[in-house]
Amino acid sequence: MAGFIGELLGPFKGFATVMRQAFKPRLTRSYPHEMRVKPQRFHGRHVLNRYPDGMEKCIGCELCAGVCPASCIYVRGQDNPVDAPVSPGERFGFVYEINLLRCIFCGLCVEACPTEAITMTQLFEFSVTDRADAIYTKDELLVQADGTPNHGQPDGPLIDLAELKLADGWMRATSPAGRADFEGVPAWTPSAGVGLRPAERGQSDVTESEEEEA
Amino acid sequence: MPEQPPPEMVTISLDGQEIEVPQGEYIIKAAEDQGTYIPRFCYHSRMKPVGLCRMCLVEVETPRGRILTTACNTPVAPEMIVDTESAVVQKAQEGILEFLLINHPLDCPVCDKGGECPLQDQTVAYGPGESRFVEEKRHFEKPIPLSDIVLMDRERCILCARCTRFSEEVSGDPLIEFVGRGNQTHVITFPDEPFASYFSGNTVQICPVGALTAKPYRFKARPWDLEAIESVSMVDASGASISIETSQNEVVRINGVDNDATNHGWLSDKDRFVFQAIHSENRLATPLIRDDAGDLQPASWGDALDRVADALGSVRGDEVASIGGANNTNEEAFALGKFLRTVVVTPHIDAQVGDALNPEFLAGVTPRAEIGDLDGAATILVWAGDLKEEFPTLFLRVRHAVTQMGAKLIVVHPRRTGLDNIAAEKITYRPGEGPEVVRKLTAQGDQDYGAVRDLLTAGPVIALVGLTGRAEDPRLAEAVAAYALGLPGSKVLPLARRANVFGALDMGLAPTLLPGRVPVKSESGRAELESHWGPLPGEAGLDTAGIIAGLAAGDLKALLLVGADPVRDGRNPDAVRAALDAAEFVVSLDMFLNDSNQQASVILPVDGFAETEGTVTNIEGRVQKVNRILPGPGQSRALWSILDELSSRMGGQLGAGDGPAIAKEIALVAPAYRSMTWDRLEWGPERDGVVMPDRDGVQELRFVPDDSGLRPTAGRLALHSGRVLYDGGTRNTQSPALAGLTPDPAVYLHPRDASALALADGQEVDVAGEFGTVRLRLELDPSLAEGSAYVPANLDSTWVLGVPDVVTVEAQSSKGKKNEKKKGKKKGAGE
Ligand code: SF4
Ligand code: SF4
Ligand code: SF4
Ligand code: FES
Repeated sequence: MAGFIGELLGPFKGFATVMRQAFKPRLTRSYPHEMRVKPQRFHGRHVLNRYPDGMEKCIGCELCAGVCPASCIYVRGQDNPVDAPVSPGERFGFVYEINLLRCIFCGLCVEACPTEAITMTQLFEFSVTDRADAIYTKDELLVQADGTPNHGQPDGPLIDLAELKLADGWMRATSPAGRADFEGVPAWTPSAGVGLRPAERGQSDVTESEEEEA
Repeated sequence: MPEQPPPEMVTISLDGQEIEVPQGEYIIKAAEDQGTYIPRFCYHSRMKPVGLCRMCLVEVETPRGRILTTACNTPVAPEMIVDTESAVVQKAQEGILEFLLINHPLDCPVCDKGGECPLQDQTVAYGPGESRFVEEKRHFEKPIPLSDIVLMDRERCILCARCTRFSEEVSGDPLIEFVGRGNQTHVITFPDEPFASYFSGNTVQICPVGALTAKPYRFKARPWDLEAIESVSMVDASGASISIETSQNEVVRINGVDNDATNHGWLSDKDRFVFQAIHSENRLATPLIRDDAGDLQPASWGDALDRVADALGSVRGDEVASIGGANNTNEEAFALGKFLRTVVVTPHIDAQVGDALNPEFLAGVTPRAEIGDLDGAATILVWAGDLKEEFPTLFLRVRHAVTQMGAKLIVVHPRRTGLDNIAAEKITYRPGEGPEVVRKLTAQGDQDYGAVRDLLTAGPVIALVGLTGRAEDPRLAEAVAAYALGLPGSKVLPLARRANVFGALDMGLAPTLLPGRVPVKSESGRAELESHWGPLPGEAGLDTAGIIAGLAAGDLKALLLVGADPVRDGRNPDAVRAALDAAEFVVSLDMFLNDSNQQASVILPVDGFAETEGTVTNIEGRVQKVNRILPGPGQSRALWSILDELSSRMGGQLGAGDGPAIAKEIALVAPAYRSMTWDRLEWGPERDGVVMPDRDGVQELRFVPDDSGLRPTAGRLALHSGRVLYDGGTRNTQSPALAGLTPDPAVYLHPRDASALALADGQEVDVAGEFGTVRLRLELDPSLAEGSAYVPANLDSTWVLGVPDVVTVEAQSSKGKKNEKKKGKKKGAGE
């Protein structure tokens, strides 16, 4: 008996499911008109950061390239020009390339980086029409002076700009060519937490370059 | 190596284990040989210990109880009890490392040493987990140049004195020293004196931290992306072992490899930095053919080889000659010799250019010394070019034998040499009067050179014999060898300059030699080779001088230049150039354009150093393996493969399919190389190289030098044309790090000669010889014999002079240019 009625109602059972779902909150978004906020630790594409004074954080140490399990990073270092240093210290990364077709977004490069020069953003839109375009060079990777990434769609809920700007090296990888005028300048290394740090004790007391300049 | 009595053994206890070690060995070495590594910074097995860094502390049982002592300078004693891992030792090691790191910057990510740094490694292995030091570190200005090549980062220096000890003890140029006290101590050059040592690169290699860096490698790569392969330096013929290290298919550095038999791990800066020429943009990368308008045009291999095959096929075999091949591997040299003898069929083959010693002398003098024999010698006689300029790593071995092993050194040379300051006796003679010196040394009852003769009565005597300068009569070397072989227990080490000239001669690239040290005139030797190769010309061919004359006279029509530049190296540059112009066809197989092949009809690009695999033979006859780590640039090809294809186009059969195949054929047909295989040299105890012929090989050639018929040359200012290390040669000028080190050209006169000619120091003068005239700055040099003039050979401006026996030096006719060039290129030193 129950079997018979059940069979009769059978076709309408489906409607019930539909009706139930129809009044539940919707999960589908009409991307790209509507964006979803991604989890904080989302592994999107990389950026190369700058210090607040505009200097590049990357020192060209190749540690990220060395640790990369997909071997997709290519870095070459060079002597920093003395008059117009690109990064603090002696060395800067003058070639920096990531092949994003090979990258497995493991984030090991971020962990290896001694200066937090490379970090991952929440940017994920980088479809290309040509394989060569998938190799991101320094031009594309390096953030702009204000810390915003160089990207087609920099605004919107894709990335937390405030967080990006705060992402900063906690450690100074090398003293800046021993030049007294850079010693103890707190601006470029907020370090260990956010905010300015006082000059290191005694750093600019006696250095040869001061004597020389005198 | 000379036989040495086995050392007396003593028994010590190392970490509770009884071991037998030679009496007098330092604990650190004894432990290492037995497999226990004691950490160290300042100890280096090739230098005297100083006990500076204290990293090697171990506990030793003494009558006063257990004490900590440095293992690197404490010799073992019978029944000694040593503990390398006790709690006390570990605490000491942690303490030392914590102290070292107090002032050490956190530079690892940008430091060239990072990744292969003993300080990093030992801190991880033996250091404390944490530092308690929170105070400010000491600061110095970051790298300061010590020389044009070496930079110094004083913050990173741990004051181990390896670099300063090397300079003083090993290379004998004490140009760097510690200054300052306490934490301001650092290594620096003397004021206004750059660290201009030929061996400065070694300090970079042995510095246990990244304090010393070399410009050519600085920031080029990190250790973990280097690919390395062992090989042999091709700068001179002493066979220094090296490792060639590349990153992204570019050679970025060369390091010395400790080879007991040859270089002890040391290299000259030329060995170390000459790799830059490999990546020079002037490397030839495609075949070039001269078109009808006389310009060189890029061509395909097919067209270029057709052109060569046609040209060589259209003349008689013995109208073709070949110069060069001494910078190639044995396999390449062998393929070249076989190509010339069996496909072209010509005997006119010479690997030596313009500076030829008799090939039979070089390849066949017996008994021939090994480099290791120097260490057991009582007396060493050096009658050759300035070893420091021509054979820098051999120079270090001679220095080692004299300063560490107690040999007495006699130097005979027309001028001062790098060895003079450690020589017991020095004979300076006017170039051309060498035979006179030999006569005086030989003559009974002659009063001259008494002290020298006394020294030479003490054997064993090792004589290093070569040309002292390019103007010297090559037979003088034979006369010297003949004299030296009469001395007690003597052996001769013949010297010739080009990288693999001994290999080339052993492979038969000489007018009088067939492969495997067989003279052409030996009927039996030739018959044996003919059984493999078919009939061969029985006559000796022409040497380079004969070839040049033959080309000029039209007897020879076509010429192969194999990595040779006879214009620059020739006695009379203009005559050589005219001969090359007179030749109907010149094909050059080379890596660069040079003064000789500019006019060639066809130029073929060949693979060079680091791009070919094979074997080379050094001055001792030691065969070592060279390896390939890179492809050649562009379309360049290996010499043997070019010759193989050329042969098939000429209707011949070379059978030089690949390197190993040639190596097998060498073992088959070259008697002295009978037992040679690549495998022997690649694995096992013979990686240091094997001196050929070994017990399985046979050597037909036994050259007995003879000094008859040698007469002194006369003339007012006899020319001494000695070589300098950083010359105007292609490899040197194409290496940016070395090109700037070439000395300013000058002519050197004895002060008395200068005043007799009314010339002053620094004046511009005209130096004229039989073949040309050059304008040079005059420098006074009291170390010269009177009546001679020294002009460094093969600098960009001096080679035009050629190699006349005598020169005249005159004040320059037009006035005004005086002292213009005087301001030297002294730079570097400090700030
Ligand atoms: S991104 Fe970081 S790890 Fe990579 S090269 Fe630059 S500084 Fe080194
Ligand atoms: S010398 Fe070694 S420990 Fe010192 S900064 Fe360089 S890599 Fe690091
Ligand atoms: S520079 Fe290097 S080799 Fe020289 S003392 Fe300092 S740490 Fe030692
Ligand atoms: S290695 Fe013994 S004190 Fe330095």
